Amino acid sequence: MGLAPRLPIMNPEIKALQAAMERAGYIAEPDIATGAFLAAELGKPLLVEGEAGVGKTELAKVIARVRQTELIRLQCYEGLDANTALYEWNYQRQILRLRIAEREVHDPQALEEMIFGREYLLERPLLRAITRREGPAVLLIDEIDRADDAFEAFLLEVLSDFQVSVPELGTIKAQHIPWVILTSNRTRELGDALRRRCLYLYVELPGLEKEVRVLHGKVPGLNDRLALAIARFMQGLRKRDLRKAPGIAESIDWAQALVRLHQDHLDASVARATLGCLLKDEHDLRSTGEQVVDELVAHATGGS
Amino acid sequence: MPRVAADADPGTAGIVAHLAAFAGAMRRHGIRVGLSDEIDAAEALGRLDLLDRAEVRCGLRIALKVPHDAWAEFTRLFEQHWGGSSAHDVPIAPPTYASALRGPLQWRWDGTRVRLELPEPEPQPGADPGYSANPMLRQKPFDEASAHEIAAIEKLLQRLALRLAARRSRRLVPTPGHGIVDLRRSFRHALASQGDFLRLARRTRPRDQPRVVLLYDTSGSMDPHVRFHLSFAFALRRVIRSVEIFAFNTSLTRVTRAVDPGRLTRSVARLAATVPDWSGGTRIGACLADFVATHPHLIGRETTIVVVSDGLDLGDTAQLVAAMRALRERARTIVWLNPLLADSRYEPSAAGMRSALPFVDYFGPAHNVESIERLLRFLR
Repeated sequence: MGLAPRLPIMNPEIKALQAAMERAGYIAEPDIATGAFLAAELGKPLLVEGEAGVGKTELAKVIARVRQTELIRLQCYEGLDANTALYEWNYQRQILRLRIAEREVHDPQALEEMIFGREYLLERPLLRAITRREGPAVLLIDEIDRADDAFEAFLLEVLSDFQVSVPELGTIKAQHIPWVILTSNRTRELGDALRRRCLYLYVELPGLEKEVRVLHGKVPGLNDRLALAIARFMQGLRKRDLRKAPGIAESIDWAQALVRLHQDHLDASVARATLGCLLKDEHDLRSTGEQVVDELVAHATGGS
Repeated sequence: MPRVAADADPGTAGIVAHLAAFAGAMRRHGIRVGLSDEIDAAEALGRLDLLDRAEVRCGLRIALKVPHDAWAEFTRLFEQHWGGSSAHDVPIAPPTYASALRGPLQWRWDGTRVRLELPEPEPQPGADPGYSANPMLRQKPFDEASAHEIAAIEKLLQRLALRLAARRSRRLVPTPGHGIVDLRRSFRHALASQGDFLRLARRTRPRDQPRVVLLYDTSGSMDPHVRFHLSFAFALRRVIRSVEIFAFNTSLTRVTRAVDPGRLTRSVARLAATVPDWSGGTRIGACLADFVATHPHLIGRETTIVVVSDGLDLGDTAQLVAAMRALRERARTIVWLNPLLADSRYEPSAAGMRSALPFVDYFGPAHNVESIERLLRFLR
C-alpha cells in the first residue's frame, strides 16, 4: 500500500466534528473524534473504556450537545434488570382505573385496551431512547461493567434489533436508531459478543497540552500560569505509583478549588492542604507525603 | 463512497485484500480479530481519508476493537503492513500438534529446561473407575496419579467449584419459594382478579457463578509439581466457566487462551511455547503487582485467587506485600497452595512466603486428593 507517512490531513467531516466538540467544551483528540464519527457513520454503538475520570461520560454529553438532541442515560449497577431498564406498567394507576370502572357500566374490551394503553406504560431509558419521535437520541449506557452478565446479554439483544416487545402492546420498533455510547471502567471484563457489536475507543489520561486546554475551558477565572502549573503537577503525580491515578475530573475539581481559594499561582502549602481533591485513597494520600508534594510543586512551577 | 488513495492501483478490492492480510497477521500475533471486525474495518476505511496514515491507524484500531493492552503490538503490525513499503509479513507455518492424546503428558527435566513428552499409552491395571476412598490413593501425590485417579480428582474439584459458588448474586429472580415480595408480578397477578391480591409473588437472589484466577509459579524450584499444576488447571477449567490462568516466573504471562480443556495436547504444546523463561527464577512480588496493575477487571468480589507457589522469591518483599494487600482488598478469597507443605518438616520461613501469609485466607498443600478435601472443608 502506498500510504506515505505525512502530516495529518484528516477527513474534513471528522475535523468539523472535532471543532464542534471543542466549541461544546470538550477537547477531543483525533482518535476520539474519529471514534465518534465512525460510530455515527456505521450506525454502531461506541464502547468507551478508560481510567475513571478521563471524561467518558462527558463525551456522551458533548455528543448530545453537538447533535442537538436529548441525552438519555442508563446508569448500570449490580442487580440492574431488564424491567428497570426497559419499561414498567403503572400498576397503581391501572388498579385505580379498575376500581373506578367497577361502578360504571363499561365495555370490558375497551377497559382492557385502556389500562394497557401507552399512558399506563412507564418508559425506562432504553424504551424511551427507542420510541423518541423527534429524531435519534444519544443513549448513554454508563458503567456497563457494573451490570452483570445477564443484563449484558439482554442489552445485546436490544442493541442489535432496536426493538422491544411488550406482550400487551406488541413489538415496538425504533422510530430512529439512537446513537449509543457505552462506558466501562474495566472493573469486569465485558463479553466478547458485546465488544464485537460495538466500536471500541480507549480514552487515555490527557497529555499536558490537552489538560491545560481542558482546564481553561472548564474553569473560568483560571490564569495561564496556574493552569500550566496544575497540568504539570498532575502529569508528575500520575507518573507515581498510585492506586487510583487522578483523572481529568480531579484536575478540574482541584483547579476550581484553587480558584475559589483565590490562588493565582501554585503554592506548596496550599497544594498539601488541598491534596484531597486529587487523591481519594488513604494509601495514596499517605504515600504522597509533604516532601513529594513539595518536589512536584517545584517541578511544576520551575521554569515558568 | 470510499475515497481511494491517489495511487489507486490496488483499487478498493486491493484494500480489502490488504485489510484481510493485515487482520490475518494480527490473529497470528494473538490479537483476536473476527470476520465481523474486518467488515467494520472495511466500512470504516470507506469513510476515512486513506492518505492520512494516522487517521487510518486510529480508524482501524477503533473498528477492529483492539483492546488497550494490545495497542503496542497493533502499532507495530500497522507499521509493517500499512507503511510505505509493501513488505508483507511472512506467514508463519501453523504449529503441528499430535493428532490425539495418547496418555498423560510428561514433563521431564533434561538439565536445562522442562520438556514435554507424549508417552505411548500405558495399559491400565484393573483399577476402580471413579472416586476411590482408598486412603492410600487419597494420599498419593498427583505426579504419580493414573488416569482414573485424575478422574477422581476432577470429581473433587467439581465439589470445590460448587463451594466457590456460594456467594449470592445481587440480582433478584422470581422464585416459587420464600423471598422478597415482588410487587411488579404481584400487581400483575392482582389485575387478573380485579385488583385483589390473592397471592404474592416473590423474588430471591440466585447463586453467583464463581470466578477463579489461577496464578502458577513456573520457576525452577516448582518443577517437580508441574504435573499437578496442569491437571488442577485443566480440571478446574472444565468445571468452572470463568477461570483465568496465569503463569509467572520472572514475568507474568496470561495463558488462559492457551489452555483449552477440549484439546489437552494442543494446549500443553502451546503453553510450553508461550511461557518465557520456564523454570527460571521467581519474582513473585513483581509478577503479582503486574497482575494487579494490568488485569484489574479480573479481580472482583466474586473472584477467588489461587496462587500456587513455594514462595521462594528472588524479588522485593515490599512489592509482594503491596500486591497482596491490593488483592486482599478486592478479591473474595485468597488461597495459597504450596506444594512444599506436603513435607511435614516444612516451615514457611522464606521471606517471600512469610510476608504473603497475613493476607492469605487458606494456606495449605495441594499435592494429593486429601489436601484438596481439606481445602473443600475450609471453603464450606
